[in-house]
Amino acid sequence: MVYFINDIITGALIGLLYALVAMGFVVIYRASKVFNFAQGELVIIGGFIVWFTTMQLGLSLWLSVPLSLVLAGLVGYAIERIFLTKLIGESVFSMVMVTIGLLILLRGVVLLLFGPAVRPFPIIFPLKPLFLGDMLIPMNLLIGGIITIVAAVGLSWFFNRTRSGLRMTAVAEDHVVASSMGISVTGSIAFAWVLGAILSTIGAMIFLSGKSLTFLASDIGFAALPVALFAGLESIGGLILAGVIIGVAQSLTTNYLDPLIGGSLGSVVPYIIMLAILLIRPTGLFGWRTIERV
Amino acid sequence: MDPSGIFPTSYRADRRIVRTRWQLLALALFAVFILLAPYMFSGRTIAVLNMMMISAVIAVGLQICTGYAGQINLGQAAFMGVGAYTASILASKTGLTLLLTIPLAGCSAALFGFLFGLTAARIKGFYLALTTIAAQFIFHFAVLNLPSAWMGGSNGITVPPAELFGLRIVGETAQFYMNLVVTSIMIAGAFGIVRSRFGRAFVAVRDDDVAAGIMGINVAATKANAFLIGAFYAGVGGALWAYLIRFVGVDQFTLFHSIFFVAMIIVGGMGSIVGALVGVFVIRIIQEIIATVGPYIADSVSFLGGDIVFAGMNVILGGVIALFMILEPKGLMHRWNILKSSYRIWPFPY
Repeated sequence: MVYFINDIITGALIGLLYALVAMGFVVIYRASKVFNFAQGELVIIGGFIVWFTTMQLGLSLWLSVPLSLVLAGLVGYAIERIFLTKLIGESVFSMVMVTIGLLILLRGVVLLLFGPAVRPFPIIFPLKPLFLGDMLIPMNLLIGGIITIVAAVGLSWFFNRTRSGLRMTAVAEDHVVASSMGISVTGSIAFAWVLGAILSTIGAMIFLSGKSLTFLASDIGFAALPVALFAGLESIGGLILAGVIIGVAQSLTTNYLDPLIGGSLGSVVPYIIMLAILLIRPTGLFGWRTIERV
Repeated sequence: MDPSGIFPTSYRADRRIVRTRWQLLALALFAVFILLAPYMFSGRTIAVLNMMMISAVIAVGLQICTGYAGQINLGQAAFMGVGAYTASILASKTGLTLLLTIPLAGCSAALFGFLFGLTAARIKGFYLALTTIAAQFIFHFAVLNLPSAWMGGSNGITVPPAELFGLRIVGETAQFYMNLVVTSIMIAGAFGIVRSRFGRAFVAVRDDDVAAGIMGINVAATKANAFLIGAFYAGVGGALWAYLIRFVGVDQFTLFHSIFFVAMIIVGGMGSIVGALVGVFVIRIIQEIIATVGPYIADSVSFLGGDIVFAGMNVILGGVIALFMILEPKGLMHRWNILKSSYRIWPFPY
């Protein structure tokens, strides 16, 4: 029974990590109407920036973590300047295709710059797990979960209550309409990408803390994708619930069902849940239901 | 647009694919060139041409699904994989002739694609695109986790050589002609599909699915059909691939391969069968150049290691997709059409 509860708690915490990466998708979507397929690559770029500032430059963590976040923000801004500004007002289709192009472009760039070697990642969060009776909870995931909840509440408040957040919401509705109302579409998209890159870097720190870093870690982007769709692309608060549900389902499947069938069903469970939910509610649990006009 | 003096006076004339005598001549010359290619080129070129023809089948399928019906499909490599696995299992276990295995491979891929197309009844826009990524993951899961006696698991399946009426199709030239026959049939079929009732429904749904629904088009069925046809093409291409490589493994059908096919139709031009073929040609040539030049660069710049080919391919293809979407979203075919019509109306601007 203790193990069962432990599995649930660990699953929920991993789900919150997915939710944090998925928050990158949602923030970029909420402020620019672009679905960023290259989210996993942003995570990996964030990871390499953290590795570079701590391991290569030898800065202390108190200095390197903020510096990495700033650098990641700059990378996000650069991507937005080079690729996305040119596409304002273009169809959603072109934007999605550009981010698909970015997906393999960024992966190639990371491979060219850093190579396929496996690198140690700095220990940012304490390695010692937290013991609760017989249960043990990984410290990085626990702190990460708290960060996720704080970020979700904060960003949710920002996008739904503040003036600048609502402006970005208008951009996500329609670029042309938003810009004719005097809202800076460019500014909104730039902000979205900077924030998306920073969230991805925080995700990389939690995910990789004390582990090893290769370009394969970008797979977390595809692990987080079902969470974003399950919650609905417009909802930041909903990510927490979606992340916890998917994380727990995945953890239970991995621990109890996989030994029975001798396979790795755990890795596809998020996708199966996502497909089921999308068939019942086509825009996810908390996504907006838009009314289309011809 | 047609050259001066050519006015279709009936629907039949208006639907013609070959519209002028010069086009007929060009087509005939191209056909002769392709038929004689094995006698003109050496082994490596023929191998590349074989690859191009197989990619052409798959890219044309994607063109129908994405370019004509507007449904973003990131699972084309998975559909291809379903076809390749079906063909190789049928060929190695039952010894069926390729006259049956290739269509059956297409059908099983079409069924798999149709299942994901059916979700189009409820899911729209890029939520739908993302469910096709799910197809990719579910395909991998199925191959790796079903009993390895069925799908070969991570070891893959070795495919016996293709056989037709007791003749073994081995060697590059024989395979070239086999691929050529299948590819020609599939491409001719594609031209037929896109100018039929289904093709017009696809274009209507692509341009505005709400408006298409109001006009009386069954939008969900049209989208599911688009996936069905696209996946059928991918399945046939997969079967040809299985016979060419003589081995199928799950690593040959990843999301990255799907993106390569997307790159082909973007470069060639969305919404044009010939565009898909042009895109296949350009992208395969680029891949060939990188594969040839890459090792030399890897030797001279040693710290990059052997992964430079893969990395360079990713950088160039990703860059090509992004640049084309930004600078020339309608692809090379659009440029060519502008050139052609300005030649025809010269010296007038329009």
